[in-house]
Amino acid sequence: MAIVKVDKLAKSVAQGPSLMTGSYPTMDWMDVPAVFKPGNFAYPAKVDIVNYLNKQQGLHFPNAREWSPLDDDWKLPENWKEIIIDGLRERLDKFRSLKIFMDCCVRCGACADKCHFFLGTGDPKNMPVMRAELLRSIYRNDFTLAGKIFGKMAGAREMTVGVIKEWFMYSYQCTECRRCSVYCPYGIDTAEVTMMLRELLHLVGVGINWILEPVSNSNRTGNHMGLQPHTFKDNVSFLCDDIENLTGVKVEPTFNRKGAEILFITPSADVFAEPGLYTAMGYLLLFHHIGLDYTWSTYASEGGNFGLFTSNEVMKKLNAKMYAEAKRLGVKYIIGGECGHMWRVLHQYMDTMNGPADFLEVPKSPITGTMFDNTASTKMVHISEFTADLIKHGKLNIDKSRNDHVIPTWHDSCNPARAMGLLEEPRYILDHVVNRWHEMPENCIREQTYCCGSGTGLNTDEIMELRMRSGLPRANSVKYVHDKHGVNTLACVCAIDRATLTSLMNYWVPEVRVAGLSELVANSLVMEGEQRQELTDGLRTLL
Amino acid sequence: MKLSEALQEKKKQILSIWIDRTLNSYTSSDFFKRSQDHIANPVGANIRAGLTTVFELLLQEAAPEDYTTALDQVVRIRAVQDFTPSQAVVPFLELKWVVRQVLADDKKTSSLIQDLAKLECEIERVALAAFDIYTTCREQLHQVRVQELKSGSYILTDTPCVSSLLRERKKGPDNIN
Repeated sequence: MAIVKVDKLAKSVAQGPSLMTGSYPTMDWMDVPAVFKPGNFAYPAKVDIVNYLNKQQGLHFPNAREWSPLDDDWKLPENWKEIIIDGLRERLDKFRSLKIFMDCCVRCGACADKCHFFLGTGDPKNMPVMRAELLRSIYRNDFTLAGKIFGKMAGAREMTVGVIKEWFMYSYQCTECRRCSVYCPYGIDTAEVTMMLRELLHLVGVGINWILEPVSNSNRTGNHMGLQPHTFKDNVSFLCDDIENLTGVKVEPTFNRKGAEILFITPSADVFAEPGLYTAMGYLLLFHHIGLDYTWSTYASEGGNFGLFTSNEVMKKLNAKMYAEAKRLGVKYIIGGECGHMWRVLHQYMDTMNGPADFLEVPKSPITGTMFDNTASTKMVHISEFTADLIKHGKLNIDKSRNDHVIPTWHDSCNPARAMGLLEEPRYILDHVVNRWHEMPENCIREQTYCCGSGTGLNTDEIMELRMRSGLPRANSVKYVHDKHGVNTLACVCAIDRATLTSLMNYWVPEVRVAGLSELVANSLVMEGEQRQELTDGLRTLL
Repeated sequence: MKLSEALQEKKKQILSIWIDRTLNSYTSSDFFKRSQDHIANPVGANIRAGLTTVFELLLQEAAPEDYTTALDQVVRIRAVQDFTPSQAVVPFLELKWVVRQVLADDKKTSSLIQDLAKLECEIERVALAAFDIYTTCREQLHQVRVQELKSGSYILTDTPCVSSLLRERKKGPDNIN
C-alpha cells in the first residue's frame, strides 16, 4: 500500500542542469491552475440541447450559452458561488453517503496509485484522494468548524472560478470506474464524488455535449442515437439479413409485442455501430437457437443511461422507460444485454429510483427452469447469467472449433464486475465456447480490472490523447498477454468498451481486436437447419 | 580503462540516474519510480525497460533498426501525454549529460570524457530515430480518431434519424453526408 501525504504528493525535484522541461511542481496544489488546451477537454454542450433539457419536467439545466473552456470568462451566472454552495448544502442533506465521504477519508493514499488516469498522466490531481479533495476543501471551508476557523491550515479553501475550472477538468478525467474504491479501507465511493461534482457543475451550466446530447436523444426517442422506432427496427432487420447470408438461418425477432414472456433491452450501439453489431447478431442467434419467447422494444431501445454521468434526476428519468415498457407489454421479466453502466444503474439505484417492479415476476429461465433469485428485486437478468445457465444445463449445441480463429483474453468491464459482481459467468461461458483463452495478470482483472479509460461519456474523439493515456494501464496488460500468449481478441460485456477499446487497441496493440461475449457464443452455435458458409472469421466473415 | 569497460562498470549508476531524471518529468513521480510492477505501473515500468534496452544496445553498438522496439516502448507513451514534441523525446539526449556526469565523478574514468564523441553521436542518432517514432505515433493517433468517426459512433451526436435526414435534404443534396 502506498503511503502518500497530500501535502507531499508532488515533490520531485530535478538535480543538476537538464534538458528536461517537464512539469516539476513548484507550487502547492491549491495554487496550480487547471490549464485548458485543445485535446484536454470535451466540447461544451450545445445551446439548443441544454435549452431542450431545461424544458423537461423535473430537470434543471440553466445557463444555456455559447462558451469555451479556452476562454477566461465561462459566462457563469452572476450568483454562481451561491448556487454552488447551496447545491452542495442540498446534496449533503440529501445524500448521507456524500457527507460520510467528505468526512471519513484519512488520506492514507491506498487509492492514490490505483486510478488509470493517474497512472497514465502522473498528475497528482488524478489521484482519487486528490480528486475528492477538490470538493472536500470547499466542504471544509463552508461546512466544518475547523475549516471556518483554520482555513487553509485545515485543508480548506474558498470557492473561486478557478475551482470551478478545476472541477470541470478533473471530474471529466474520472470514468467513475470505482477501481479506487476497491482499495479504500473506508469504502469511499469516489465515483459518487465525481457524480456530485458533475451535478454541481450542471447547476451553473457547465457540461459536455457528448453526454448531454445522448441524454437529450434518449429522452426524446428512447436511445442515445436518436433512432426512431422504424429506424431501430430496420437496423435489427439488416442484422437478420446478414445472419441469413452467413448461416442460412432466418431469424425473425419481434418488436413491441404485447404478451411476450421476456423484454430484451441492450445498448443501442449494439444495433448500430461496429463491433457491437456482431454482439447484437449474437443475441439474435442465441435467442433463436433456444426458441425464446421475447420481444425487442423500440421505446426502451437503450440500455445505456448517460443520466448516470449527469445527475440523479436524469438517471432516474431515463431509466424509468425500462419498467414502463415492461408493464405496457405485460412481460414477465427483462433480460439485459451487454452494457456496462446500465448494470450499475440497475443493480444499485433502479430498485429505489424506479421500483418496486412488483408487476413483474422473479426471472425464471423458460428453457432450464432456473430461478434467478439474485434478481428478485430488479427482475432483470444479465445475458451472461442467462447464457451460462443454458450452457450449464447443456441446452446449447456448441462447436468450439468454430472459434479457433480467436485467442481471447477477458476484460472485466468495470460496472458489471465491480457494481454487480459478474465475474464467474463470463469466464464459464468462455471456457465452453472457445478452445483457448488467457487471463491477464491477477492485479488487473476481476474486481481489480482496469477501465477502458473512456467511460462516463468520455468516449468522444476530441480528447483522443487523454483517452489513450487513461487507457494505457488496460492496453499495457492486454499487450502483455498478446506478447506472451498470442492473444488476438479482447472480449468484454460492455458497449462503451467495444467502441473505446477498439480505438485503444488500434493505438497500443493493433493486432488485438475487440469482441462482445455473445458474438463468441454465436460464432460457436450449431444452428438447427443451418446452411453455414465457410465462416473463417465467424460472424465477421465477409462473403 | 577503455570507455566501453567504464560504461559497462557504471551501467547501473548511469541507468539509475537516467531513468530517475526521465520519470521526474511527471508531476508526481514517486510511484512511477518506486513500483517495479509492470502491470501496476505501466509508465514507470515501460520507460525503465525501454531506456535500459536502449543503453544496452548502445553498449553493443547495435544496428539502427534494433532500437525500434525499445524506443517505441518509451515514445508511444510520451507521444500521448502532456508533453511538447521536444519534451517527449528529450530523455534520449539527456543520456549524454548523465554519462558525462557519472564518468567525471570518478577519477578512474574522468579522463575518458574526451573519447565520448562517437557515443554521443550515436545517442543523437537514437534521439532522431525516437523523433521519427514520435511522428508515427501522432499520425497513428489521428488515424484512430478518423477510424472512430468512420465507424459510426460519431452518430451519437449527429442524430441520423429520418426526420433529421429530411431536414438536411431540404438544405440541398450536397449537404448530406
